[in-house]
Amino acid sequence: MPVFIAGAGMTRIGRRSEALPDLMAEAAHAALAAAAVDVPDAIVVATMNPEEFLGDGNFASRVATHMGFAEVPTLRVETATSSGAAAFYTGFAQVAAGLRQRVLVVGGEKMTHLSTPRVSELIGRSIDPYERSYGATMPALAGLITRALTQQGVGLREFSQVAVKNHGHAARNPYAHYTALVTLAHVMESRMVADPLRLLHCCPISDGAAAVVLTSAPTPVRVAGVGQGTDTLAVRHRHSLTAFRATQEAAKAAYAMAGFGPERVDFAELHDAFTPFELIALEDTGLIPPGKAGRATLDGDTALDGRLPINPSGGLKARGHPLAATGIAQIVECVWQLTGGAAGRQVQGRVALAHSIGGLATNNWVTLLERTR
Amino acid sequence: MIETIAASKCPRCEAVVAPPAPYCPRHPVAMTPVALSGIGEVVTYTTLHAPPEGFRSPLHIALVELEDGARFVCHGSETRGLKVGATVAIEAIDNVYYFSHLGTLDRALIFWRRAGRAGDKVNAFARSLAKRMWKGRVRAED
Repeated sequence: MPVFIAGAGMTRIGRRSEALPDLMAEAAHAALAAAAVDVPDAIVVATMNPEEFLGDGNFASRVATHMGFAEVPTLRVETATSSGAAAFYTGFAQVAAGLRQRVLVVGGEKMTHLSTPRVSELIGRSIDPYERSYGATMPALAGLITRALTQQGVGLREFSQVAVKNHGHAARNPYAHYTALVTLAHVMESRMVADPLRLLHCCPISDGAAAVVLTSAPTPVRVAGVGQGTDTLAVRHRHSLTAFRATQEAAKAAYAMAGFGPERVDFAELHDAFTPFELIALEDTGLIPPGKAGRATLDGDTALDGRLPINPSGGLKARGHPLAATGIAQIVECVWQLTGGAAGRQVQGRVALAHSIGGLATNNWVTLLERTR
Repeated sequence: MIETIAASKCPRCEAVVAPPAPYCPRHPVAMTPVALSGIGEVVTYTTLHAPPEGFRSPLHIALVELEDGARFVCHGSETRGLKVGATVAIEAIDNVYYFSHLGTLDRALIFWRRAGRAGDKVNAFARSLAKRMWKGRVRAED
C-alpha cells in the first residue's frame, strides 16, 4: 500500500530552554496541523537516550501523555543517532502494511543542559566497548576515518568546504542552530579536535524536535523507498574505513523499493555529523561517482544553486544535530523543499533523498521521497 | 620481546578479531582461539585533544593491522613522525596495549625471523648476527 506524507513540522534547532516533551509537542502539533489531522491512529517516538540525558524512562508514554494523546497507541524506536529515521521506517511500515491509516512520527533530543564532555561520553556509549576503553569517542573514530580518507587523496580543503557550504545554507534557514557564515580560513584554522578533524568540521550539540504525519490517503509527497543497512559495531572489524557498508546497503534497498536509481535524485539531506562524512555519503549513495565528491564540492555542484544541492537545510553541521530529531528533521526539510515551502533556500526538484547514520555507521537509513504532482 | 596477543578466528570466513570474541561479528558461529604476534602496520591514527574522563590529553590512538588481518586499537606515546603503513610493535602495560615505532634493528630482527621460517641457512646466519647485534645494543643501553 503506498504511503504519503500529509504534514511536517519542527522546532527551531539550537540551545533550547524548554523540556524535551514540550519541544516534541511543538513539532508534533505543527505536523498534525499541517496534515489537518486531529488525532493520529498511532504514534512512533524517537529519542536516543532520554534515560541518561534526562533521567526519564518509558518515554513513549511520557510524550504521548504530555501531548494529549494518552489513549493513542505509542511506541519508541531506537537505533542510536539514526533513531529518527528508524521511527520514520516504523511508521511507514505500519501504514504500508495497512495496520494504521494516520501515524504521527516524532523525534527529539535535549542535551545542551549537560557539559560537552558529558554529552560526548553519553553519545560515546554507542561505540564498541573495547574501542571505548581506549578513549575512542565519536570525534576520535571520525578522526581515524578522516585520516584514512586523506590517504586516498581527499584534501583538507575539500572537507572544509563542506562546512563553508552548509553554514551558508543554514544562514537562510530560520530553523537552524547556526546563522553565521564561516570562511574556509575559519574552518581550517579552528581548534584541532581529533587530528586531522577540527572544531568546525564537527556538528554542534543541539536541542530540538521534528515530526511528520504518514497517511495512506494520497498527498503531494509519496514515500518512494526506505532502506536500512548495518555493519559491525566495532570500527576495527570493518572491511573499509572510507566507505560505509551500512549506507551502501541502505541506499541499495531504498532504490530497489523505489524502482529507480540515484540518477533520479534532485537534492539530498546527508548525515554530515563530521564534514568528511558528507563526501563519503555522496559516494556511498551513488549520487557522485567514487573519488569525485571532494572535487564536486569545491566546484560548487552541491551548493544551493548547484546541479545537486546537498543539505539545503544546513545539515547536521549547521542546522544542528539533536540526535533522534535529526533523521526526521531531514525528512521535514525534504517535504518543505518538494512542496515549495522552503522560502529563502528553495531548490527545484521532484525526488529527494535523506540519509541518516546510527552510531559510527552501524545502523544507517536512506529514505526517498517523491513529489506526486 | 614481542608480545603475543590473544585473538579468535571464524571457522567460516577466516576473519580474525582481537580481543577474542565468542561469535564472529558476521556469522553466528563460535570462534576458535588464536595467538597473534604483536607486530603490525598502522592503518590510521589520530590525536584526540579533548579525550573522555580518565584519559590524559592529548590522547594518541592508532588502528594497527596485525599479521593475519586482525585490527587492533591501541594507544601510543606520540604520533609525531608516524606514517600510515609504518610497522609498529604492540606491547601491553597494565593490560593496556601501546604501539611503539620500531627501530632499524627491531625491523631487521623481524625480517630475518620471518625469512628464517624458510629454513634457509643464510637467513639463519643473518638471524644470529642480528641477535648478536641486538644483544650488543641492549648492553650498550645498560
